[in-house]
Amino acid sequence: MHETVLMQNLITTVAQALENRNVVRVNRVTISVGELANALPDALSFAFEAMTRDGILKGAELEIESLPAVARCDACGHEYRTDGFPIVCPVCKSTGFRIISGEEVYVQSIDCEEE
Amino acid sequence: MTRLDIKQDLSSLSNRKAAENRNKFNTNGVYVINMMGSPGAGKTTLLENILPKLSAHVRTAVIEGDLATRNDALRIEKTGVTALQINTNGGCHLDAKMIEKQLLKLELDSLDLIIIENVGNLVCPASFDLGEDMRMVVLSVAEGEDKPVKYPTAFLNANTAVITKTDLLPYIDADVHVMKKYIAEINPKVIVFETTKKDGVYAADQVVEYIIEQVKLKQSR
Repeated sequence: MHETVLMQNLITTVAQALENRNVVRVNRVTISVGELANALPDALSFAFEAMTRDGILKGAELEIESLPAVARCDACGHEYRTDGFPIVCPVCKSTGFRIISGEEVYVQSIDCEEE
Repeated sequence: MTRLDIKQDLSSLSNRKAAENRNKFNTNGVYVINMMGSPGAGKTTLLENILPKLSAHVRTAVIEGDLATRNDALRIEKTGVTALQINTNGGCHLDAKMIEKQLLKLELDSLDLIIIENVGNLVCPASFDLGEDMRMVVLSVAEGEDKPVKYPTAFLNANTAVITKTDLLPYIDADVHVMKKYIAEINPKVIVFETTKKDGVYAADQVVEYIIEQVKLKQSR
C-alpha cells in the first residue's frame, strides 16, 4: 500500500541524479524490488505511471527486477537464498538467521539521452 | 544513450531519519517500542492495561498512529499517560519523519519509555524502521492460528509477540500452540507472551515485567 511513497522517493532520487546533467529524455528507470519489501510490482508500475505524467520522467518506462531474499546463518555464518518459511540454513540446519538483503527497493540505473 | 548507475536504496532517506531518531533516543536513555498488528488485534486495549503498571516504574509516553480520529489518544490519556496522536489521513504506516515531528513535543530527557502504536496493519509498518529498540507484534487468537505464516514479514524483524484474547480459545477454532509454532518458524528469536481477560481482569504482567527489564537494561549500558 505504500508503493506511492516509494515512487515519490524514486522521483526525488532520479531528479537528484540528473542534476547538473543535460538530460533531454529518460527512456527507462530500472529498479530492484526485494522479495520481502512488501511492495507489489503492479502497484509500483501503476503509481509510477500516474506520477510521471509531467516532468523529466514523462514517457519513461519502469523496469522492475526482483531482488532475492538472502539470510545469514547465526550459527555458521553461511549466506543463503531463502525459499519461503521456515528459514533453515542448508548447511547446518540452524533456524537462527538475519535477513541481509531482500527487504529493500533499489534504483539500479537510469537510461537517458543527453544533449 | 547514457546509462547512469545509481544503486540507491529508496528507503535510505527514511532509514537516515530512523537512525537520527535512534540516536536521540539513545542520547536520552529512552527505550522505544514499535507496536504493530492488525486492526482489532487489541493493541490499544493492551496499552490501557499495561500503562498504569508500567508508568509506576518508568516514565512513559505513547504515540498513537491511526488514519483518523483522536480516539486512541483519548483512551490512553485516561490512564494518566501522555499520548500524542498522529493521523496519517489514509497512510498505511508510520514513518521515521512523522515520529521525529512528535518528538519535538516531548521532553525526552524526562522519559524512560516511549511506546508507538503503529497504524493497524500487519503489512506496511513492517517495512519502516522508526528508530525503535523493540518491535512488538500484537495478534489475537481470533485472527486465526495461521496469521504469522500468512503475514511473515511482520514477524521477521520482531523481538516480541503478544497473543491476545486467549480467553476466547474455548469458543473458536484456533490452537495457540500452533500459532506459537508458526511464529517460531518465521523467527525463532521472537519472545512470545499471552494475555487473557478473566472475570473482568486483564492479565499481562509478564509483558509489563519484560518491558521494565528491557528499559533498565538499556539505561544501565
